[in-house]
Amino acid sequence: MANKLTFDAIVVGGGPAGTSAAITMAKAGLQTILIERGRFAGAKNFFGGVLYTHALNEVLPDWQSRGPALERPVTDTGYWLLSPDSVLRFTQKSERYKKVPAESYTALRANFDPWFAQQAVDLGVLVITKTTVTGFLRDEKGRVIGVTTDRPDGDVYAPIVIIGEGVNNLLTQQLGLAKSDLPPRYVALSVKEYLGLPEKEVEARFGLSGPDEGVAIDIFGDVTLGLPGTGFIYTDKAGISIGCGLLLEQLVINNLKPYEILARFKNHPIIKPYLEGAERLEYGAHLIPETGYDRMPALYTDGVMIAGDAAGMVDALHREGTNLAMIAGKMAGETAIEAHKQKNFSAEFLKGYRRRLQDSFVLKDLKQYRRMTDFLDSTPHFMETYVNFANDAAYRYFTAHGMAKRDMEKEIIRLLTRRRSFLGVAVDMIKLLRGMRG
Amino acid sequence: MHTVVAIKQVPDTTNVRINPETGTLIREGVPAIINPYDLHAVELAVRLKEHFGGKVTVITMGPPKAAEALIECVEQGADRCILITDRKFAAADTLATSYVLARAIEALQEEGPIDLYLFGLQAIDGDTAQVGPGVATRLNVPLISYALHIESIDPEARVAVVHRKTERGIEVLRTRLPALLTVLKEIAPVQRAPLPNLIRAARYKPEVWSSTDPVPFDQDQIGIRGSPTVVGRAYTPAPRQAGDIIRVSELGLQECVKRALQNVQASGAVDLASIVDAKRPTDGNGGEHS
Repeated sequence: MANKLTFDAIVVGGGPAGTSAAITMAKAGLQTILIERGRFAGAKNFFGGVLYTHALNEVLPDWQSRGPALERPVTDTGYWLLSPDSVLRFTQKSERYKKVPAESYTALRANFDPWFAQQAVDLGVLVITKTTVTGFLRDEKGRVIGVTTDRPDGDVYAPIVIIGEGVNNLLTQQLGLAKSDLPPRYVALSVKEYLGLPEKEVEARFGLSGPDEGVAIDIFGDVTLGLPGTGFIYTDKAGISIGCGLLLEQLVINNLKPYEILARFKNHPIIKPYLEGAERLEYGAHLIPETGYDRMPALYTDGVMIAGDAAGMVDALHREGTNLAMIAGKMAGETAIEAHKQKNFSAEFLKGYRRRLQDSFVLKDLKQYRRMTDFLDSTPHFMETYVNFANDAAYRYFTAHGMAKRDMEKEIIRLLTRRRSFLGVAVDMIKLLRGMRG
Repeated sequence: MHTVVAIKQVPDTTNVRINPETGTLIREGVPAIINPYDLHAVELAVRLKEHFGGKVTVITMGPPKAAEALIECVEQGADRCILITDRKFAAADTLATSYVLARAIEALQEEGPIDLYLFGLQAIDGDTAQVGPGVATRLNVPLISYALHIESIDPEARVAVVHRKTERGIEVLRTRLPALLTVLKEIAPVQRAPLPNLIRAARYKPEVWSSTDPVPFDQDQIGIRGSPTVVGRAYTPAPRQAGDIIRVSELGLQECVKRALQNVQASGAVDLASIVDAKRPTDGNGGEHS
């Protein structure tokens, strides 16, 4: 080959992690190439999805003036507890959510990611699509000094490589940073449909006053047949995103097909009216790493850092992932900038990346919720028991039967103890508390 | 050797649906691609450049979005791309399109000699196969449509031997250069583009020509004004019904033929009596179905 393709930094993957890393480095003047395997950045990406703006503020402070591809600000949010015939809602709608920019927006990744990657291009990043990174180039000491791709003349050299390859972390495994494929116990499969509905219709159905309001609801209980998992309904500009996710292991054990669960969810008597007449415009599925803090891959080695889903940076409880990925990408980028200043790309120096993450909410949150997946796994009855109980209890509470309230309270207690012993409840609550408190 | 390839960006018709009321294509949400035949034409040009040296110029007339298609040509190895775009070109039929492309090619000829003009056989959205032959006529160069294979090419002697697919077999034709070929997909397999090409393409901006600059196109021959074609009616043919199956194993050969003939006659599609009387048709020429 005539000329070695050499850059200051290589980024693998055009999702939130990779693009944030590339933007950060390009702004500091590093010659950065971003290699994406899809036809365009985001072609392989899919999420619920709610996007948090605090991360955008950090990566791209002037994002608002760049015409971001967002759907609706989230102004009405919370949880629905869904039993087979009822829903108990814990949601908040507030004028406080209606600031500009909002704390969070619904978004479609097929629109958002290409926009985000275009900002990287505008800032000087060389974005190459339709190209898969297949492995690494190493120097005589085994340190990574570049990547190989599936293209002729496809070797690219750079002293630092940032990997944002996503949940299917083949390169992270190739480096030995992740020990194996994600075990089915620590990965969720989420399926989603994007249903088209006229803007006014979306607003009427969800009680929104205009395009500056939007709903983001997470749903527990019957949505996943009571199994550990969640469902969601988010309003988009002219449509609804609806989906559900379960741990892969649960799907296997219970011999369930994700699209059947979603079809069942859409036909639930409470859910169905929201979707009436909507046209399915998009459907898809994606794996979500719920690896947890204790099983995260190592985040760096000589010449390489890992960010985003590839490193298991997902806080499923709060449906956060893209923001963790963006912040991690930015921190990897900042570490790379430092490394260039010091001309030191060793694992020892790149440890600074992990330190930055530790000082931020990213690793703090992941550490705090490190038992969440195990909690769900060890209490598979949790959703069904408590969601159904809560609905039964609420029904009992909100109706009058000419009965003394004291007796009604006893009846409600019996609704619980019929399902689970006091001791069982106590154990579940302690486990939940441990899962939440870390 | 300098090859000029003309391409068209088309909707990916494998994904296209037809609006049953208007009979027109629903283009909304359908990805745009390089017309598949044209991609093979580009590929052939790049292979010829690798073999003989020289350069590949790609031109297209289309909306600004067609720049995407040109950038993909750079990925495949094109050197220079020209986007001929102007609102005045809109609604062009094959007559107006061939005028614009021929005039653009003449402008390129003024910059230096061109050895070969390549077009895809036809565009998958219109299927007319008229633009390539139209340009050949306007440029007054030999036309070989349905080009299947280049047996040899000699840029010095300015001759080429080209295989051409016809309904009755393959014609082997010798032509002087420059000539214009409309190509089949077999002419050159599309190879995976090398990474340096993608890097060049990511930074490449196609040249943009308008209806007046740098070529002053005759405004009466472009766009809707230069397009005499009138679409009388567009409709979707009713789906064909499955035919009867008559089994020789059940009825015997004689009975089968009899039944088949009866069915044909009953359908009224063919006047059997006249066919039996008529002599067998003589060989036609391979046919320019363009």
